Amino acid sequence: MREQKTITIFKFFGAVFLLLFCILPFVWMIVISLTKNPDFFASGQSASFTISNYTDLLSNGSTHLIDYLRNSLIVSIVSAICATLFASFSAYAITRLNFPGRILIPLVLLAFSMFPQISIIGYLFKLMTRLGWINTYYALIFPYITLGLPLALWIMLSYLSRLSSELDKAALVDGATRLQVLLKIIFPIALPGIFSTFMLILIYSFNEFLFALMLTIDYKARTIPVGIALFEGLHGQIPWGYIMASAVIAVVPLIILIAFFQRYIIQGLTEGAVKG
Amino acid sequence: MRSNSRYNLKETKAAYWFNAPLIITAIVFILIPVAGTLVTSFSRDVTFLPSKFLGLENYTRMLGDIHFWQSARFTLFFVLVSICLELFFGMIFALVLNETLPARGLFRVAILIPWAIPIAISGRIWQLIYNYEYGLFNFFVQFFGISDKPISWLGSSFGAFVSVVIADVWKTTPFMAIIILAGLSTIPGDIYKQAMIDGTNFIQRFFNITLPLLRPVIVVALLFRTVDAIRIFDLVYVLTGGGPGGSTNSLSLYAYNYYVTGDFGYGSAVSVAVSIFAALLAAAYIKFGKFKEAIK
Repeated sequence: MREQKTITIFKFFGAVFLLLFCILPFVWMIVISLTKNPDFFASGQSASFTISNYTDLLSNGSTHLIDYLRNSLIVSIVSAICATLFASFSAYAITRLNFPGRILIPLVLLAFSMFPQISIIGYLFKLMTRLGWINTYYALIFPYITLGLPLALWIMLSYLSRLSSELDKAALVDGATRLQVLLKIIFPIALPGIFSTFMLILIYSFNEFLFALMLTIDYKARTIPVGIALFEGLHGQIPWGYIMASAVIAVVPLIILIAFFQRYIIQGLTEGAVKG
Repeated sequence: MRSNSRYNLKETKAAYWFNAPLIITAIVFILIPVAGTLVTSFSRDVTFLPSKFLGLENYTRMLGDIHFWQSARFTLFFVLVSICLELFFGMIFALVLNETLPARGLFRVAILIPWAIPIAISGRIWQLIYNYEYGLFNFFVQFFGISDKPISWLGSSFGAFVSVVIADVWKTTPFMAIIILAGLSTIPGDIYKQAMIDGTNFIQRFFNITLPLLRPVIVVALLFRTVDAIRIFDLVYVLTGGGPGGSTNSLSLYAYNYYVTGDFGYGSAVSVAVSIFAALLAAAYIKFGKFKEAIK
């Protein structure tokens, strides 16, 4: 029974440590976003709490915070929809049809995902310059779709391979086309998998930094991680209150998504890695 | 002719239609850029100068470039240290999450927070925490009497290295924990019951049952994390800018700085080197991790 006690103690301290580890920086971000004197802690002054950081940011259009957030949302939602669609088309064909390259496509795509972004961006920058897409949504959406595809394909493959193909065979016999089968029969059953894939690609696209940094110039296409990373004060002093308030504005939509859909996110993450 | 007997032409055609969007985007936005980077790495490609084929000149320059080797050393140390720590903490978190806890959902949401916050944003949070005058870390350091003077976290090369590692471990341990947790849930509880009857203690059970059974999952998680960690860019860009004195310049950041100054030839050569490092490490995992067994 002594062992049981040790395990309980381990569990308790582990759980407390886990919570503090994950949440402390996040809480600190919120605290500083609500104060005008970020040094109150060390200097022993009392903190003056205020929401003026938020109101200043949102009322002052020159910070472009809302533009960055809108760009981020548009780019990551569109990329996630397209990547999920493309991947489910492929996964459907790979799990249901017999054709040369069936095994090769997922493996080659997985190998592609090993290429570091830095080895893509140099030439991609030139490609986008030539296309005239620099500082547009296209410059980010297409590369983000492509970055998301390997993960999306692996998740969809493991989902679809678990669905029995009896249903769609019956529908084919009844004269439905394959596209109809995919859209009307497979999609509804595979909805949890599709949603997991969508959420993961959405979050990864929202997080992306290097491409957004090189392929955008200003508020017309710049995403919020780049906006916050490049946020500088006027007089050489870093405006921590403003930065943390913008971080909160950027992060809160994500946290809400996670709170509602953590089951799907965790499912997608494990599906992609453990099965693959 | 032989292929006709194995494959139905109509089915093959349909399959390629379904795969067309994926194949086309992958070719245009990964294969072509990577090939383009490779070609560029063999030439002089500097803004305002005509492009010229150089052969291996960029690579010989790279091999003799001490700043390149400094970046390579930092990147390698970073991968090694941060991944070991992530595995360690990830294992602890997974074991905790695998136990029956009150408010299970709360813990799962909490662990996803560091993972979901963009690194560029969490980098700024850490910048504030490491702040010399009023950062949280220096408060704790003085509060607990570890040092009576504040520590210059981002101002010394060792401090900056530690800072980058801590921020990265915070961000990516959740991923490791979730993957290991999924592995843990596939281990049948009966094995533990039998072992308990045999009179083993929980440390023995961990090393003799849990760890060997988790091996394939851990290898996959490590592979993903290694390939990801070797390309570290966002965090050093935001947190240290590669400094002080280039001591936290990752290979990706080093290449990026050449791109920004317009030297695409040399930047591409460094990028190719990053790809080669990543490929070598991935190959090592696949060889030593007995991947074929893991897939079965």
